[in-house]
Amino acid sequence: MTYVALAYGFIWGAVFTYVLLVGRRVARIDAEIEDLRQRVKTGS
Amino acid sequence: MARPSWVSQAARIAWKDLHIEGRSREVVYTMGFMAALVVLVFSFAFISGQEVTVGPDAIAGILWVAVLFSGTVALSRTFDRERENEAIRSLLLSPVPRSAIYAGKLAATASIMLLVELLLVPLLAGLFSAAIWLHALWLGLLLLLGTIGFASVGVIFSAALLRARSRDALLGALLFPIVIPVLLAASRATATLLDPAAPDLDPALFWTRFLTALDVVFVVVGLWSFEPVVMGE
Amino acid sequence: MLSTMSSAQKSNTAFVVGLLLVLHGFFVVTLLVANAPLEKTMGIVQKIFYFHVPCAWLLMLSTFVCAAGSLAYLFRGSERGDRLALCSAELGVLFGLCVLVTGPLWARAAWGVFWTWDVRLTSSLLLWLMLVAYGLARRYGGAGGRRLASAMALFAAADVPLVYLSVNVWRTLHPTTKVVSSLAPGMRLPFFLSLAIFSALWGVLLTLRMRVERAQSRLLELTIVVEDAEEKSP
Repeated sequence: MTYVALAYGFIWGAVFTYVLLVGRRVARIDAEIEDLRQRVKTGS
Repeated sequence: MARPSWVSQAARIAWKDLHIEGRSREVVYTMGFMAALVVLVFSFAFISGQEVTVGPDAIAGILWVAVLFSGTVALSRTFDRERENEAIRSLLLSPVPRSAIYAGKLAATASIMLLVELLLVPLLAGLFSAAIWLHALWLGLLLLLGTIGFASVGVIFSAALLRARSRDALLGALLFPIVIPVLLAASRATATLLDPAAPDLDPALFWTRFLTALDVVFVVVGLWSFEPVVMGE
Repeated sequence: MLSTMSSAQKSNTAFVVGLLLVLHGFFVVTLLVANAPLEKTMGIVQKIFYFHVPCAWLLMLSTFVCAAGSLAYLFRGSERGDRLALCSAELGVLFGLCVLVTGPLWARAAWGVFWTWDVRLTSSLLLWLMLVAYGLARRYGGAGGRRLASAMALFAAADVPLVYLSVNVWRTLHPTTKVVSSLAPGMRLPFFLSLAIFSALWGVLLTLRMRVERAQSRLLELTIVVEDAEEKSP
């Protein structure tokens, strides 16, 4: 039974970690977009 | 003037490489040395005690692992001369069809590898009392097929890694997962051929056929993908 | 031009929605799996199979999608194809990892050893290694990294049936461990539902990852434009 829980848990953990990593990527892109917006504003 | 045929163009490229190699013999020496060393390393690693009792399975494995590792040496040199002086660009600017370049390079690299392998096999016979004379011609065929299978993928990767910094580290790492079926088929067939006590040669026949199919697939994919891969250089 | 950047925020919403849907599906599947009949010889451990097999299927699917994207990139210069190849390779590594962890866990519980050179597990390992190598080629392959990786993907896809066939024959010459191949009626629904949910998860992850990748490249283009403009009028 522990093996089943371990297996299931691993899949959940792996997918969740991946989603988190992608989420961090998205946050970084959002930050860079903000940065670009600021630069455009101060430029024009 | 008639345009030279595809075959003659490929042959010319192969001949050019072999001719240059014939002068320096650098690849043959380094690859040959590497292959012999791999075999020796295996001997030291796996053989214990006085008796050198290594079964045909192990001998076949040692042979093909040596081919694989030393073949990587040959492959990393395949485009070495094109790397210098941007020779690759002049080659690509010429009207030679890319697939002919690929075929020529494949032929040249495979020939060099085969030369080393033919010297390697007697070494194995000497070290491990391998029964290489049982089916010598078939063994030669296996060497040819396995080498082509390995080099057909390797030439593409070698070309693509032309400018990469971690070229040598990457080539083997990228190549090996893909050529494992080649290794498997070749070593299984060789093991059967080296076994004096084998009941029949059916496994060898199956694996030889399989290896041939593998070669066809890889060479076709190679011919096809060489141009777009090298185009970016 | 910058207004299109809000698509990144839009994708965040879609992200949450899609994930919630799949989570819901997961709970449904868990219940079904828990209630599915126990397999005769292996008992409760066999239930790993409901997650293990879909992950293996996704590994294969990812490989073929990666090869398709690579084909489009190599022969038609499709940037989108290249993005598709990258994203599906990532998912292939993710789900392949799941296969390679759940497989040995099952093997350990059922037969006492972690690795049995079972044909499917071994083929999955090789396929996974090829996808990892794909990632390495992209990251460290230098200028030609993307093309190299694309060529790799083509060879890998062509290799899939050959790897399976060769390992199968290789293993049948030795004693093999029996893998459950026939499904009892009570198991079919949870299995196919699990397969469907996992595939949906894969689809959702792929779509979102693709959007991130596309946003990334658009961002790069725009950054170049802005920097050019700044240089011209400081």
